[in-house]
Amino acid sequence: MVIATTKGLSRAHEIYADRGQRVRELRKAGKKIIGYICLYPPVEIISALGMVPFRVFGDMSEPITAADQVSTTVVCPFLRSIIDLGLKGKFNFLDGIVGAHTCDIGMTLVISWRDYVKDAPFTHLIDVPHTDHAPAVDYFEGQINSFKRHLEEFAGEKLTDDKLKKACELHNKQRKLVRELYDLRKSDPPLLTSMENIEVLVALFSLPVDEGNDLLEDVIKEIKGRSIKPPRKKARLLVWGPVFDNTSLYELIESADASVVVDDTCVGTRAFWADVKAPYNLHALAQRYLVDLKCPRTYRDTTHHELERNYDKDLDSRFDYIKRAVTDWHVNGAILQSVKYCDTHGYEVPNLRHYFDTLGIPSIYIEHDYSERSLAPIKTRIEAFLETLG
Amino acid sequence: MPGIDNQTSHLYFAGIDIGSTMSKAAVVDAEGRMLAYVVGQTGAQHRLRANKLMEDTLHKAGLPLSDIAYIISTGYGRVNVPFADKQVTELTCHAKGVAALFPDVKTAIDIGGQDAKVLKIKNGRLVDFLTNDKCAAGTGRFLEVAAETLGLELNEMGHISLQSDKPVKINSLCTIFAQQEIISRLSAGEALPDILAGVYIAIATRVVKLARQLKVEVPVVFTGGVAKNAGMVKAMQDVLGVPVLIPDEPLITGCLGAAILARDEAFKLVQRGEYQAHRDKKLTEARIDFGEKSR
Repeated sequence: MVIATTKGLSRAHEIYADRGQRVRELRKAGKKIIGYICLYPPVEIISALGMVPFRVFGDMSEPITAADQVSTTVVCPFLRSIIDLGLKGKFNFLDGIVGAHTCDIGMTLVISWRDYVKDAPFTHLIDVPHTDHAPAVDYFEGQINSFKRHLEEFAGEKLTDDKLKKACELHNKQRKLVRELYDLRKSDPPLLTSMENIEVLVALFSLPVDEGNDLLEDVIKEIKGRSIKPPRKKARLLVWGPVFDNTSLYELIESADASVVVDDTCVGTRAFWADVKAPYNLHALAQRYLVDLKCPRTYRDTTHHELERNYDKDLDSRFDYIKRAVTDWHVNGAILQSVKYCDTHGYEVPNLRHYFDTLGIPSIYIEHDYSERSLAPIKTRIEAFLETLG
Repeated sequence: MPGIDNQTSHLYFAGIDIGSTMSKAAVVDAEGRMLAYVVGQTGAQHRLRANKLMEDTLHKAGLPLSDIAYIISTGYGRVNVPFADKQVTELTCHAKGVAALFPDVKTAIDIGGQDAKVLKIKNGRLVDFLTNDKCAAGTGRFLEVAAETLGLELNEMGHISLQSDKPVKINSLCTIFAQQEIISRLSAGEALPDILAGVYIAIATRVVKLARQLKVEVPVVFTGGVAKNAGMVKAMQDVLGVPVLIPDEPLITGCLGAAILARDEAFKLVQRGEYQAHRDKKLTEARIDFGEKSR
């Protein structure tokens, strides 16, 4: 067992810079590492069976070259980056890969991985319904059950109620700690920068849950105790959108004299806001992932069964959690970002911008192609947006 | 905003806009009246161009650099203006400049050499915007390519297009494909005025699509180098379905806005009693960066 020499934020930075560092050590010591894509594979099951869940991200600084053999260029560049890295052997420390039908390309990715990457002996695809109605939750529970059986077979052990409960509690603890970390940005100026926040979160996705929890406790203690605080900036922003697993966008925003104080992204709040509720069974998992986790890939239209559609009520039921974030974090502007070709997020934008209008929060929508390079033209737009905030 | 008093009435302000193709500078007085402006090609050396442009503008205005209280740089090359006090994006500056010329403006459309922007303006302030800055379609570059293909001057091209009564439909909005389409239309025997009118309509359609996302409200002001072209103006009005207002010099709204914002910034410093300190610091820097080179 290798003991980490760094602690807190510097440890987070170290893992952020080399995500495979810790899991490679653990693998050498006999642990199985299960990669997962997007937020829908229930990580509790992986942890409960004694394996390490490792969230697979792309690399914004690595040009996509190998992926052209297995995908077209007009699909999500984030998912293309993942398969590209897979084909280049950059995830050769994974024993398995689990994907979910979060979107069509997300599903195709798992199949391509199985057929072309071939490094990992275990692959599994979870089908996820696109609405949160009760029959959909039941169906999703069945899907979680087949994932559980498949992974039990791979692990050579059974998932007991007790193991699952313990894993749920550990992951819930992590979620609670992340929410505490976010609380530290409610003040003005926030106690940590959004770059530090991203580094910590990316580190959590690269560590076993208990080690992640220890890291979080250290980080929170360190931030509360440090005397140098980030400077106060002109604007307090919310960032919305799909995966952004890199500090570059946040650096760009913060260098234009704005703090990102909260987000609605799948590397940030979406991953940590909802807990699994007791009695910690498969139904509770289905409920947590399909209903409580808020991502535009699941359509939540509470007025779908009513004869008269009420637009405002519908928006409110879809986005009220954003309203709470705006109030609690004293947000005065929103940056909606999306990766090119993400239909899932693209279709949400007009409704969401309208919702921000009703809240009196100015917003801007920007698209990037998941490469650090593509951010430069966005800089002027972000600066101009901040100038309109006055 | 403090008014003009004996502390501020003798001050002058400058804005400099380093665009992708053209660079522009303007000087205004304490009341925001423009005293002089100069327009030139940007070229490859932004810093040299910025120095030369400022020098020429000051010369035209009959002012020494030391009379300029505050300078704001804007545009694509705004970071390469070492003597500027502040950088502001071209979106904010254009909005300010357009509103200075047309106080009631609600929508501004600017087509530059390599980008197109649509600005929503309320009470003289930028409130929302969209840009097309990833692709040359719908920008001045598109027209340059068409002119090169046809061996025409840009200006000439505009006038010829006005003779058209049935513009051809250019289907391709990509600059490169459109070039091929123009050639194939020529070989198919289509009349030149009709092809040119089609080119202008293609650009206008592309930009109006952007504008409609923000809802077009009148009065609409059309600026940028492309707004000088008669064919482009006609196409823009036809596609928009409303008349557009065009400044006498449509290239300089960005630098004019920057100069007026420079005046606002300097007045703020005066009000806060920080102007002299800022000035001393700036003069020292200016002597190093600009004054000595131009002497």
